[in-house]
Amino acid sequence: MLDRARTLAPGSNSLSGWETRVKLIGLLCLVFAFAAVRDLRLLPLMVITALATYRLTALPLSYLISRMKVPGVFLLAMAVVLPLFSGETVLLQLGPLALRLEGTLAFISIAARFFSIITVVTVLFATTPMPTLVRAMSSLGLPQLLGDMLLFTYRYIFQLADDLHRARTAARLRGAHFGSIRSIKTTAHIFGSLLVRSHWQAERVLAAMTLRGYGATRVDISRRAPGPGDVAALAACVTLAGIFVVTQAFFL
Amino acid sequence: MHIPDGILPVSVAVGGFAAAGGMTWLSLRQIERKHSDPRQGIPKASLLTAVFFMASLVHIPVPPASVHLVLSGLMGVVLGWYAFPAILVGLFFQAVMFQHGGLTMLGVNACLMGIPALLAFSIFRLRGLLGETSRVPNAVLGFAGSFVAVALGALLAALLIVATVPAYLDASVERAAVTGLLAAHIPLGVIEGVFTAMVVLFLLRVQPDLLKESL
Repeated sequence: MLDRARTLAPGSNSLSGWETRVKLIGLLCLVFAFAAVRDLRLLPLMVITALATYRLTALPLSYLISRMKVPGVFLLAMAVVLPLFSGETVLLQLGPLALRLEGTLAFISIAARFFSIITVVTVLFATTPMPTLVRAMSSLGLPQLLGDMLLFTYRYIFQLADDLHRARTAARLRGAHFGSIRSIKTTAHIFGSLLVRSHWQAERVLAAMTLRGYGATRVDISRRAPGPGDVAALAACVTLAGIFVVTQAFFL
Repeated sequence: MHIPDGILPVSVAVGGFAAAGGMTWLSLRQIERKHSDPRQGIPKASLLTAVFFMASLVHIPVPPASVHLVLSGLMGVVLGWYAFPAILVGLFFQAVMFQHGGLTMLGVNACLMGIPALLAFSIFRLRGLLGETSRVPNAVLGFAGSFVAVALGALLAALLIVATVPAYLDASVERAAVTGLLAAHIPLGVIEGVFTAMVVLFLLRVQPDLLKESL
């Protein structure tokens, strides 16, 4: 699972050269504008906008579909509950089950927002390396403690994934079974060991960082000033987001 | 308890970010009050966040299915006030790496898990009164804190979803949905409680320092 996430990296596409802070603001404006869309007439335009944004990357459609799998389970539950239990206008009666208009429309609206938002979020995080993105967030005002925690956590996730894999393999070789509820004790002990080892490692990391001057000075994290192309792309995103929000709020 | 994008109205998403911002501010203030230099705790909190992130990907078999651990209670127990920012960071990575919980719902999800984690922290702190080195009070408080964290998180999530998603659900269906979601989380709460109690006992034996945030 982590290996799939590790493949998130900027490829050769139109969006990877976009200045990160500007890209972050622009695409997040789009994401929140999509979240505000309620009217069914805006949904096709929203989905088209999301797909057009995705088209600007060099990523295959299969990659986007793979990102939908985990949250898709939640959507599947909605697909059952809303059309069958929400609303009064019956569209179709199948024995004891009734397909209802209001619930079906609510589900279509949710599914379109879900797809569009995840598409744009995928574009943002698949075309920008995570450390660059965190530095951009810090330069936009994210508290330093949170920024540092994001960078450190990201740094150690992959290392700990390997540690966890090794610990489980070692436990398996010693005869542990992870196929039953009884494995909870073994898992708890592996987890406890990881916590203890990480605690010791954190002490060493802090000492090394302090020696290298951590906390003494604040490094200037801005990479480069946004160029005219960056600003034009931002303006396009903000305009599109504005169209969605204003149309939804005042014209529908 | 990881609510995805597009389900809840944008007003709830914005409200969630406001609430999470407030909770983060409160947590950072408490951290600053307790530690002379809060940055000293960052490597530890980050490493432990990464451990929790990894552990939440581990599935525990509960035949015929399996459940993945939430661990908000255990995070409260071990990290104390660092738990809220740590959960925020962990949820951010889960959202962007696996789409497990939405990015627009980050604030909402952080509150659904972070506030119960702080409640678990408060419950576990009672060990200061009952005996911080005694095994039974530690295990019981660890179990109770974790169970309450899962139950409260599930209750808040169910109420939020039912109250804001469908406009046409009748009251009986709403009640059934909330009850069903809560009932589904009771076994998870018990498993997390047992898991937390086991980890607490392990840490008490091997590295009791790791539990000092709760004192």
